[in-house]
Amino acid sequence: MSNPYLPDFAVLRRITRENDANDIKTFEVVFEDPDLARSFRYIPGQFGMISYFGAGECPIGIASSPMDEGFLEFTIKKVGVVTAALHNCTEGDRIGVRGPYGNGWPIEAMEGRNVVLVGGGFAFTTLRSLVKYILHEDNRERFGDLTVIYGARSPGELSYKYDLNDWERRDDIDLILTVDKGDSGWTGNEGYVPTILKEAAPSSENAISAICGPPVMIRFSIPVLTELGFSPDDILLSLEMRMKCGIGKCGRCNVGSKFVCLDGPVFTHRELQGMPKEY
Amino acid sequence: MKYKIIDKDKLPGLLDAIIERYRVIAPVDTGKHFRLTEISSGEEADLGLQNTKLASKEILFPQTEVILRVRKGEEGLKAEEVSVEDRDWVLFGIRPCDAKGLTLIDEPFTSGEYEDTPYTDKRGKTSIVGLACIHPRATCFCTSLGGSPFGREGMDLQLVDLGEEYLMEILTEKGERLVEGVQGLRDASDDDIAKAERLSEEAEGAFKDKLSVEGLSEKLEGMFEDPIWDEIHLKCVGCGVCCFLCPTCTCFDILDEETATEVKRVRLWDTCQFTHFTLQGSGFNPRPSGKERMRQRIMHKFSYFPKEFGKLACVGCGRCVHECPVNLDIREIIKEIMSV
Repeated sequence: MSNPYLPDFAVLRRITRENDANDIKTFEVVFEDPDLARSFRYIPGQFGMISYFGAGECPIGIASSPMDEGFLEFTIKKVGVVTAALHNCTEGDRIGVRGPYGNGWPIEAMEGRNVVLVGGGFAFTTLRSLVKYILHEDNRERFGDLTVIYGARSPGELSYKYDLNDWERRDDIDLILTVDKGDSGWTGNEGYVPTILKEAAPSSENAISAICGPPVMIRFSIPVLTELGFSPDDILLSLEMRMKCGIGKCGRCNVGSKFVCLDGPVFTHRELQGMPKEY
Repeated sequence: MKYKIIDKDKLPGLLDAIIERYRVIAPVDTGKHFRLTEISSGEEADLGLQNTKLASKEILFPQTEVILRVRKGEEGLKAEEVSVEDRDWVLFGIRPCDAKGLTLIDEPFTSGEYEDTPYTDKRGKTSIVGLACIHPRATCFCTSLGGSPFGREGMDLQLVDLGEEYLMEILTEKGERLVEGVQGLRDASDDDIAKAERLSEEAEGAFKDKLSVEGLSEKLEGMFEDPIWDEIHLKCVGCGVCCFLCPTCTCFDILDEETATEVKRVRLWDTCQFTHFTLQGSGFNPRPSGKERMRQRIMHKFSYFPKEFGKLACVGCGRCVHECPVNLDIREIIKEIMSV
């Protein structure tokens, strides 16, 4: 058995600034081992443990789509020691990656159904992976209507503007953007995500929803979805917890007897109703 | 079952013979307390201990341990696994509670898709020689948790102090290999075995009140929101010594140490009793006060761990009772829970 803490080396091929505050960047990562770069498989919603050697390691959701072959993307906010070290990196620098970890979004449960995604702030990352996966030409027909409601504090804080522009032009996705407060150039919605979700009122008919965002957005979005008729089995959430190992050993990401790294990070609202409110 | 006898004055010689083939880790009197230490001569071992201050887990899951090295070479960074010494190891003279503790921490380290190789690489090559407890301490409560002062769980061989000699019970093939060809052993008589049995009964009898843990796990499942947690933690200062000394606590942190030539990735003991344990980058902390942290420790030992592995994660060694700076007593906590 090989050491599960041994990361694989990867190169930062491209670093993209995502927001006005410049504390969110997307890192395009390529494994140095070409066989691994080709064979690495994952599900939207899974995460990797990212190393900056000398600073440490932290869990980051995978933002790219499994359909993007040969590279991975991680969108990282600068908040601590490791993420600050990553933000200081330049293209060509080497990092470590291990994974993928966690269960990911339940793709099979979503197939054949309408999909409603609700995201807020930079936590949109693994939902972006899911959107890109669903929109891929090989996959699109396996899913019904796709509604995406995505909000940020201000227009400059919306991530993935290059994707959003593309999605707005497509007719196989209903993209609803909102900001807490717009600026002079903003012509879209103003308001918090739960409010905009309520106005948009996506049908729960043969639909499944997934939420990813700050705790307060999650707390107010669940009742809206419930009122729209989504059952607790059809509301999916991705939890955030402090982690050190990513593989169920270090003992800190548990909610009751469930480990967010192994049993999650994706749980249905039904599952969470049966778990202690400690997340 | 095979029983042998060794005179006490021949024990150092026996250890010397084992040291020729094994890396031997035995209790050594540091002057302040007993600690498991690698010995190079049988004379260094001292079986006159009540118990080691630190649980035996510290050998297989050390307080700090390099789990990965990344060398800074000319061709850039190069990762290396940390290899374990080739020779087999013996933990010699550990108490039944600690031997059982190792069988409990085997669960999280070996279960599931990912095997924790920094632990299992050492564990797989380790033989356990236990030492039965003739005089349990006042803080001991192993019998309340299915253990016993003469418990053999997790051992390859057990020693029983008969006064002038040790009765040696060989429990596994590993135990047999350990003493294979060693001089100074003789077969035990029926009288020797009967004497050990008598001592075992006396030791069991030394435990005055036995705790009831019947149904504890099931009970705790419905007690997450119980007001009991508002009170229980109030005395706790959050020092974490209970977890550090606990034979079954295995939570850890991982951090990097950088020098001019390499980055060492180190894992070190951590505890759910510390504020920062669950503090998230956003500033949100799901366990913000002592209440949530104490609840986590108790729930993990007596509800979450049993739910996952079918066993309570406490061996009743009493270290957390003995060393707590504010005299918090886990036995009292269990009693309170059982009385709710």
